[in-house]
Amino acid sequence: MTDTPLDFGDPEDLERLRHDFRAWLAGHPLPERPPGEPLPVFLHRWHRRLYSGGWVGLDVPEQYGGRGLTALHQVTVSDELGARGAPGVPRIGYLAHALLRFGSEEQRRRLLPRMLSGDDVWCQGFSEPGAGSDLAGMSTYAERRPEGHYIVNGQKLWTSYAQYSGLCLLLARTDRAAPAHASISAFVLPLDRPGVTVRPLRAANGDDEFCELFLDDVRLEESERIGAEGDGWPLAMTTVAYERNALDTGHLSKYGLLIERLRRAAHERRGTLPDGLLSDIGRCAVDYQVLVAHARRRTAERLAGQSAGPESSVDKLLMTRAEQRLYETALRVFPEELYGEGGEVLGDYFYSRAASVYGGTSQIQRNIIAKRLLGLPVGPRA
Amino acid sequence: MERDEFTLVRDMLRAFATRFRSGSADDVKAQTRTDAQRALDELGLSGLRRTSPPAATVQECALLAEEHGRQPLTTSLLGTALLAPELLRLLDLGERAEPVHGDRPTVALAGDLRFPDRDAVGLVAWDCDGADTALFVHAEGRVTEHELGAPAPTADLLRGVRRASAEGRPVGRLTPGAHQCWQAYALVVVASELVGAARSFVGQSVDYARERHQYGQPIGSFQAVQHQLADATVLVEACTSATRYAAWCLDSETPGRALTAARVAKAEVNSAAVEAVYAGMQVFGGIAQTWEHVAHLYLRRVLVGAAVLATTADLLTVLAAPEATR
Ligand SMILES: Cc1cc2nc3c(=O)[nH]c(=O)nc-3n(C[C@H](O)[C@H](O)[C@H](O)COP(=O)(O)OP(=O)(O)OC[C@H]3O[C@@H](n4cnc5c(N)ncnc54)[C@H](O)[C@@H]3O)c2cc1C
Repeated sequence: MTDTPLDFGDPEDLERLRHDFRAWLAGHPLPERPPGEPLPVFLHRWHRRLYSGGWVGLDVPEQYGGRGLTALHQVTVSDELGARGAPGVPRIGYLAHALLRFGSEEQRRRLLPRMLSGDDVWCQGFSEPGAGSDLAGMSTYAERRPEGHYIVNGQKLWTSYAQYSGLCLLLARTDRAAPAHASISAFVLPLDRPGVTVRPLRAANGDDEFCELFLDDVRLEESERIGAEGDGWPLAMTTVAYERNALDTGHLSKYGLLIERLRRAAHERRGTLPDGLLSDIGRCAVDYQVLVAHARRRTAERLAGQSAGPESSVDKLLMTRAEQRLYETALRVFPEELYGEGGEVLGDYFYSRAASVYGGTSQIQRNIIAKRLLGLPVGPRA
Repeated sequence: MERDEFTLVRDMLRAFATRFRSGSADDVKAQTRTDAQRALDELGLSGLRRTSPPAATVQECALLAEEHGRQPLTTSLLGTALLAPELLRLLDLGERAEPVHGDRPTVALAGDLRFPDRDAVGLVAWDCDGADTALFVHAEGRVTEHELGAPAPTADLLRGVRRASAEGRPVGRLTPGAHQCWQAYALVVVASELVGAARSFVGQSVDYARERHQYGQPIGSFQAVQHQLADATVLVEACTSATRYAAWCLDSETPGRALTAARVAKAEVNSAAVEAVYAGMQVFGGIAQTWEHVAHLYLRRVLVGAAVLATTADLLTVLAAPEATR
């Protein structure tokens, strides 16, 4: 938290970028999503198209395939996508930051450019059936063999889009005895490795987003470990901290688009709106723009040298508030989604209910704020 | 301002605020009010926005308003040191017709404390401690100067409000762009003071939660209390982000964009600041419900503040309109 004026970037410089991006968008019409095309496949096509124009990883250093600009440039692109009604930026920011910070130079040079270009699609294998909120309870075990490689056994759960991914950022215990923060390591797991089984699970909205991952005697090389043994815990904390900022996940543009749709619908139906719905739409617009302002402030603080920490729990709760209120309102503006076939709004509404669960539940975010931001005393053990 | 210079000004204001804060509603007396105002005037802050280019950015002024909001203070920083000088500056840039007679103007608002519509009645001089006249911006941008009358009642015990004469002397007119800037600036400055109040009161309740014991434990160790304070923290951070960003927009963006950002900020603050103070009061328990405790001074400030210039209902309707139609 800073109480000196913040630098939100040079407006002219950002405006120039916005202008260039608009010009590029004008020559590269938004892709159509054919009926039946799974969302991740569609988003991946979009990712590649954006990358071809140089619009992915703006804040990643050039030697790793990015453009070496600042996070504020990335915000501007995200903003503009929302304003244009385009799908958001690819959700790789949090993975890229984890690799930048913990990967070896060789890993950064090998993995980051392919991640940015979309040549490699990644998923995140943290959660397990017995370890959700309490990641420290993880039981997947990577046993180090005398020859130097690891043999991994265990089960992961909720691994989003594993069926469309080639690589998984995997957490596994490398020491059964030590406490979590010292005994977990991170690996890059190619999902076509012998012993890996990916089984999709159907989500409440009907999509098959998340998967179960079974690992039976999977061999991983030492060079596939990210960071040192025991670095898995800080790496996971970095990843989730970045994952909680609306900016890094590229959610902002998705919200901006829907809000403009709601505003237009309300404008066309003037007078026939149910009581209070207009001000609920206004409320959604406020939530969204507060989130944008907040993401910018956190970005400005980050540029001034603060790294993502417990403050990101505030970001996550604000993002959840914006998303859940937005889709509840959207269902009231488009009630036919409830008594007809249902459509994208209904699907996204269901997904918005998960916002308070994935990436750490809202209760866990509140615990983090209370203990780590406010420094409140430790409670009686439940 | 240079960063060091700003830090110096802020520290001066902080020291002033610590010295003159009201410990309870009983401290709010005529003499102490006058003394406090004189001490604030000596800091010379009314020059910050009087010149073109201004000595301080809007972002800096907003941070000072936050600082002023942190303590229960009876002084008028907003009306006389920040709002009226900025209004005069904007007039000088536009269509200034006549001089202002008062030495220390504050601003006048419609009787319901909102930005006036075409037929605003019952004007009041708002935040008028130490002021000798009040400037009123009409709905279409015309500016008039008004005489101060008898004190007007307000639920905010810290805020000085007086009646203002119905008839005013014309002083000039704001250009449409300057009018947008004026509204945005007023929204940001008022919102900032409320942000400071909410942040400070939540901070006080966090401290209390660490010290107060029940069932043999600090109440801050109970998860139900922790979650309430966490939620209040989220609200405070949200309105801080929105307000500071809106302030920055006034320094860097077009008047139209700045006004939208300022409306968003005020809408967020209107609900978030009040909710955050509610949460803090809950954590304080019974003591916060007494006259002696500062809690109600904060509650009164944010409650009335949420109605000043633009209510949530005013703002949400505007913000619900499609971009193209605004
Ligand atoms: C759509 C979706 C996508 C996901 N994608 C991924 C992914 O790609 N990779 C991945 O690794 N994981 C993923 N997850 C998993 C997600 O991170 C976990 O679901 C989440 O951390 C919660 O764990 P859990 O489901 O086991 O619930 P539990 O931990 O069992 O929690 C159940 C309830 O108890 C509450 N609770 C638990 N502990 C506490 C406490 N200490 N204080 C207060 N309340 C508590 C929780 O808040 C929750 O309400 C995804 C989940 C969803 C829904």
